[in-house]
Amino acid sequence: MLRYDSTSSSAGSSSGSLSSSSSSSKPPQQDIDGLLAGAGYKVRSSELRQVAQRLERLETAMGNSPADFSQLASDAILYNPSDLACWVDSLLTEFAEPPPTCSSDFIVDPVNNQTVVNSAWTAAEPHTPQVHQNITYDEQQSLDNQLTVVTAMEEDSGIRLVHMLMTCAECVQSGDLSLATSLIDDMQGLLTHVNTVCGIGKVAGHFIDALSRRIFQGMGGGSVNGGSAFENEILYHHFYEACPYLKFAHFTANQAILEAFDGHDCVHVVDFNLMHGLQWPALIQALALRPGGPPLLRLTGIGPPSPDGRDSLREIGLRLAELARSVNVRFAFRGVAASRLEDVKPWMLQVNPKEAVAVNSIMQLHRLLGCEQTRDSPIDTVLSWIRGLNPKIMTVVEQEANHNQPGFLDRFTEALYYYSTMFDSLEACRIQPEKALAEIYIQREIGNVVSCEGSARVERHEPLAKWRRRLSGAGFRALRLGSNAFKQASMLLTLFSAEGYSVEENEGCLSLGWHSSPLIAASAWQAVPAWDNHMSSS
Amino acid sequence: MAGSNEVNLNECKMVVPLNTWVLISSFKLAYNLLRRPDGTFNRHLAEFLDRKVPANLNPVDGVFSFDVLIDRATGLLCRIYRPATAEEPEPNIVELEKPVVGDVVPVIIFFHGGSFAHSSANSAIYDTLCRRLVGICKAVVVSVNYRRAPENRYPCAYDDGWTAFKWVNSRSWLQSRKDSKVHIYLAGDSSGGNIAHHVAARAVESGIDVLGNILLNPMFGGQERTESEKRLDGKYFVTLRDRDWYWRAFLPEGENRDHPACNPFGPNGRSLEGIKFPKSLVVVAGLDLIQDWQLAYVEGLRKAGKEVKLLYMEQATIGFYLLPNNNHFHTVMDEISEFVSSDC
Repeated sequence: MLRYDSTSSSAGSSSGSLSSSSSSSKPPQQDIDGLLAGAGYKVRSSELRQVAQRLERLETAMGNSPADFSQLASDAILYNPSDLACWVDSLLTEFAEPPPTCSSDFIVDPVNNQTVVNSAWTAAEPHTPQVHQNITYDEQQSLDNQLTVVTAMEEDSGIRLVHMLMTCAECVQSGDLSLATSLIDDMQGLLTHVNTVCGIGKVAGHFIDALSRRIFQGMGGGSVNGGSAFENEILYHHFYEACPYLKFAHFTANQAILEAFDGHDCVHVVDFNLMHGLQWPALIQALALRPGGPPLLRLTGIGPPSPDGRDSLREIGLRLAELARSVNVRFAFRGVAASRLEDVKPWMLQVNPKEAVAVNSIMQLHRLLGCEQTRDSPIDTVLSWIRGLNPKIMTVVEQEANHNQPGFLDRFTEALYYYSTMFDSLEACRIQPEKALAEIYIQREIGNVVSCEGSARVERHEPLAKWRRRLSGAGFRALRLGSNAFKQASMLLTLFSAEGYSVEENEGCLSLGWHSSPLIAASAWQAVPAWDNHMSSS
Repeated sequence: MAGSNEVNLNECKMVVPLNTWVLISSFKLAYNLLRRPDGTFNRHLAEFLDRKVPANLNPVDGVFSFDVLIDRATGLLCRIYRPATAEEPEPNIVELEKPVVGDVVPVIIFFHGGSFAHSSANSAIYDTLCRRLVGICKAVVVSVNYRRAPENRYPCAYDDGWTAFKWVNSRSWLQSRKDSKVHIYLAGDSSGGNIAHHVAARAVESGIDVLGNILLNPMFGGQERTESEKRLDGKYFVTLRDRDWYWRAFLPEGENRDHPACNPFGPNGRSLEGIKFPKSLVVVAGLDLIQDWQLAYVEGLRKAGKEVKLLYMEQATIGFYLLPNNNHFHTVMDEISEFVSSDC
């Protein structure tokens, strides 16, 4: 399967128009050791010596009690290994080694090129410009320009199909609809020669359909997702069962929420998309088992209104209440029916100032990204009131994809590769009808990305790097997900027969992917206190 | 107990730049956390700690990369690095496997190090190294993400190497124009160097040409304790104890270090006399405690009449080739470039 994270077509234009620039909150990058950055570590040149000293201390401690050390490895929770200084420090803290008196071993003489006899370090060679020497881990630069592809060996007709899809998309972008239409015909013919049960043939079929719909309905057409809220919930539930993406999302978010709620007796979770409430039984049970006893748990679930007079939100709430009662967790539920997240007002959530609040957004924030970058766009409004709630934690899980670019061809290409990878991973699923319905779920997403525009296009996925900038710019700071979350997520995956899923750590965030391509990313955030915030708010 | 558990910190500080010391020490530290005394490995923590980078179809310093799944059954991935050409500075995403251009285009199959247990093809340090190799050798580099110990013991890594080798050899888009053949070099550091040797042996046995082997601080060993092992134990980032752990993790259970995988010219080894084994470039670091085994390997090649060039870098420690901040690094890169380009 082909996977592709597209580049922005003109470098620099993809940073969008965030109302507040993030640059003022970033520490200076120029002091970072370029060579270590190339190896994946962020260490300030000015701190190298200190880091070295701490490493030495740790080594000495390790030498003294090797058994403790391997135990340490099993028990310690480590965070953000890229930040070497921080990582070494956290290990040192575990060991609680008293700092030694300052030794004179560390004399660096960078000025002279000769090795000074009494110096413990050789002077570095003069730095000639080298490949990657000047790489900084400024996400703004590196991740915007990244293209990743994982390919499996495909038959020639598969490659041809991809070729034609791209050409067709290009025609759509340039307005040459007659050529596009004839390409659709050709592709449908080619499909008969390609295996459409699996592989590129299957996903190509969905893209051909989506393109076809776009061409024949004209721009701006296309229904939002097709299907009722009820249908969507069913499809979602099967997607949940068929592959690990949603389970990973729930699991990782719950872990972070559980930790954030530590020590609080009144807690309130706001779920931006309740669906069948699949995420919450595990949290309720974990809270029930909390040392010291469970808190009072309030859950506010947001979801679309039910047209047929049922109150589906309330039904879910009742079921969860039943579960909570069975494990002796005091529980209260409130449903907030809204067709769009931006219609929700904070007063509807009835947050009590004494509670610890967790805001949980599983693939909801991207729906707020209008293609118009206006000053009071829905995303800014919503992020602003979330911040106003001062949540203890906001868990954000989003598709790790760049499906919100202005150029249609870029978007199309990106989606082709992203969903190819996702379909590829779904091959491993053996249970029906879960697999078939999961495919329909994904197919609907494809349809929205490819054939919808304007307010109808809600699947506006953006990669983690963009979310980081956006959320930092909106007054949030990242809470790091650590090695325990990573390990548990990895272990969750081994429950699946499919080998090929991988969890990766990326500066405090976790992502789940198929082979080496991340498809979904989870992060956790906290509001920066207003008096800490130097940025002008929108 | 043989060897010393004490790490003599002062000596290794004398010979490496500060940032190299920090890098290798942090690896050492991390690796100590991962190896358990009972022989198991904390794989989750290993993956969490390993710094990885994605492939990048956008050329960076003239090199772009993409990942290929070459064996679905084992999940064997390779990362392919290609030079961006002047005619096509931005590669067409659909035609990644566009034929290489040139009368002679070397293809280097690279096996990353990590003592058979650590690292991956997408580890940052190895991504950097492979990109460098593309530049200096004007080659396509294929970095193999072989299965690792202790979960996958001998011969998995060799099997994966062989699968990758066959795959590379059968790619028409990798053929050099001159003779419509793929010009293959095998390269690797540490355990990767060991794998390169064994894959080369298998290749020539199967009648497929390998143009050269490049072994950087290759991982070999044996049952006996050599002089260098005793002298350098614990002095320069590496202890005998950890070396032993990795062999126990890789070799079949119950086997000792005279197994031919570990000791190819040892008592259970096989002579290469009469076999068309490729020329080798073997780099040995003078401060690497296993150098006596590496030198014995070179000797073994010589005795069998095979062409071998030894680069003995006296003051180099393990990992010197990871950062371009020392003379050994530049010397070795020059030699590698020469070694590959001398095939005309």
